[in-house]
Amino acid sequence: MDNTHTLLLLSLLLAPLVAGVLIIFVRSIRAIFITMAAGIMAGSIFGMIAVIKTCKYGTISAISSWLYVDALSSFTLAIMLIVYILSTTFAYVYFKKEFLVGNLSLKQARQFAALWCGSFFSMTLVLVSNNLGIMWVGIEATTLLTAFLICIHSSKQSLEAMWKYLIICSVGVAFAFLGTLLAAASSRNVSGLEINQALLWTKLMVHAEMLNPALIKAAFIFLVAGYGTKAGLAPMHNWLPDAHSQAPAPVSALFSGFMLNAALYCIMRYIPVVEAATGRSGWSLTLMSALGIFSIGIGAAFIIFQNDVKRLLAYCSVEHIGIISLGLGLGGIGFFAAMFHTLNHSICKSVSFFAAGRLGQISGTHDLRKLNGAPKMSRLWGTALFLCILALIGIAPFAIFMSEFQILKAAVDSHSFVRLVLFLAGISVVFIGMLSKAIPLMWGTASESTKVKNDSESTEKRDISLPATPDIKLDKSTFLEICLVIVPLSALLILGCWMPDFLGSSMTKAADIIGKVTTMPHK
Amino acid sequence: MMLLIVLDLALLCISLINTGILIVGLQGLLLGFFVIAIHANALSVRLMAIAIAGIAIKGFLFPVLLRRAIREAGILREIKPFVGPGLSLVSGILMLAVALWIKSKLPLGGIIDAPITVPASFMTIFTGLFLVIARKKALTQCMGYIVFENGIYAFGIAAAGDIPLLVELGLLLDAFVAVFVMGIAIYRINQEFDHIDATELSSLKG
Repeated sequence: MDNTHTLLLLSLLLAPLVAGVLIIFVRSIRAIFITMAAGIMAGSIFGMIAVIKTCKYGTISAISSWLYVDALSSFTLAIMLIVYILSTTFAYVYFKKEFLVGNLSLKQARQFAALWCGSFFSMTLVLVSNNLGIMWVGIEATTLLTAFLICIHSSKQSLEAMWKYLIICSVGVAFAFLGTLLAAASSRNVSGLEINQALLWTKLMVHAEMLNPALIKAAFIFLVAGYGTKAGLAPMHNWLPDAHSQAPAPVSALFSGFMLNAALYCIMRYIPVVEAATGRSGWSLTLMSALGIFSIGIGAAFIIFQNDVKRLLAYCSVEHIGIISLGLGLGGIGFFAAMFHTLNHSICKSVSFFAAGRLGQISGTHDLRKLNGAPKMSRLWGTALFLCILALIGIAPFAIFMSEFQILKAAVDSHSFVRLVLFLAGISVVFIGMLSKAIPLMWGTASESTKVKNDSESTEKRDISLPATPDIKLDKSTFLEICLVIVPLSALLILGCWMPDFLGSSMTKAADIIGKVTTMPHK
Repeated sequence: MMLLIVLDLALLCISLINTGILIVGLQGLLLGFFVIAIHANALSVRLMAIAIAGIAIKGFLFPVLLRRAIREAGILREIKPFVGPGLSLVSGILMLAVALWIKSKLPLGGIIDAPITVPASFMTIFTGLFLVIARKKALTQCMGYIVFENGIYAFGIAAAGDIPLLVELGLLLDAFVAVFVMGIAIYRINQEFDHIDATELSSLKG
């Protein structure tokens, strides 16, 4: 049994890595994309098997429990696979168009594909490793591997975004390592815990109550600062809007749809340990909800003034990561809501970035004022962007409404009315701010754009990566593109109305690992 | 360990990049020998491996990479900081005070024997952070990152000397790749902008 698990988890890790290495030696763009798709596909299949096995057996572990998958990691892994399958498919669509307008060289394609597979490997490493040190190595590797994904199209702006991302995230994540070391130090002098096992999460959980509370608190502060930087929690979010807006659309989708969650997942791992060590005082939860509220506020404040659609979506990510950590901070049903919201946000934000990217290709700009009346440029992607924005601000039948509603319920349950009011105020501002941009986007006329032309000449330079002249021929949506919009959005719609039992129970199990969910919310 | 603090202070007030690189390399060497010194009575193959890998990467490879970046970018020798050497030194002393305060707050007694280790490593961490924030050039920011990493490494060998080899090697490898990636990034920024002044990287706002 253990052998098959070892084989499964190792092939899950190695499949994309091998594909990534192979890509370096492949000599045509077509072959590069085929190899990449094969690598991601193989990784996804092994990943799916691992998720199903975890549902069946509870947990699976391998190599003397260095590799370990439980309900929490398998749920996050499932989200990751969804985001990767969607964005890889979209990457094919997106770069095919880039190639047709002569905007993609062999070298760029190779760079993208190799790093794309590499990032799949490193994010999987984060999710399947039981050793908190290796988990950190995985997160740091994601930073390094994804840095050059931002500047596939080399321009001043994208290089600037890449440098900011590299420096801020490297330093931030190094703080998380300091936190990891302090967590290891807090387990000294605990009987029954061998020193070389001190970083194994399962061992740490068993002995959590005996850890040194002062040290584990200090560790958690560093960990939240470190992984929070990578997750885009305010005030450590500065790199995020730049990186998201400059990266090619599939990369932005991956960043927003999953990379932020991977970092947040690391914090989730530590929450139960810290809570047990500090006598379930709710100390770490308070910290999480404070950061969450602050992120919602920052996101809301910047959303009002954004004119670049990708930056708008990036600040929206800051807000949603804030909502997720607020959910974690509220506890109880909030843990469940945080899981649910993670899933909803990942799906919805990926599609939003797809739409923003394609509209950018079609119209040659990311300026919202010039994208007025977007459905006239591309009926599919214009409408998709509009629907995504509606879903993101929590319009009722979409699933994000349900998860935000559950977070409200968690706030009421725990009698934290200050947080409730702040949360409501934040999402109301976002609601108004995004809706006021979405309505002209859907029904506005393109003539309004001439008015702002002078004003936006400075922003023009940002879109160097886009084709100089809008190409009308690009405007034909293929069947694949239609699927990329319809499938995720209808999934969100269905999840908003009806939750399948298996999903509800696996989310409850995942939330139970962070902290006990008191009621069964999906019933 | 006292020497580590002195090197930090020196880093704050020097004005030539080459000297800076020398000091960063020296710090790396020092840390490698520190691993051997602190565990002198229980030296295992594992610790030797870590010490040697540390000396090789931090003491030699990083300076070589940094020098190459200078050569290829063909940049000026001065550092041109936001904050002058005098003020930097004052901040350095403040950072030392904060490091000592942190040490008094953390109940690390019985875990770390050498009393100066914790403040020295925190001091190094802060110095690195200061260099990242207060220096203009991409290359000096990269140096700041290395110093920061050195500080964490110093804390690591003192506070959790027994974390598994794989984790330590992972850390070293990550630091190495990070510097390598930063080197390529500097090269590309230099190609695109004709300079590596990070203050000019400011078109993305809001």
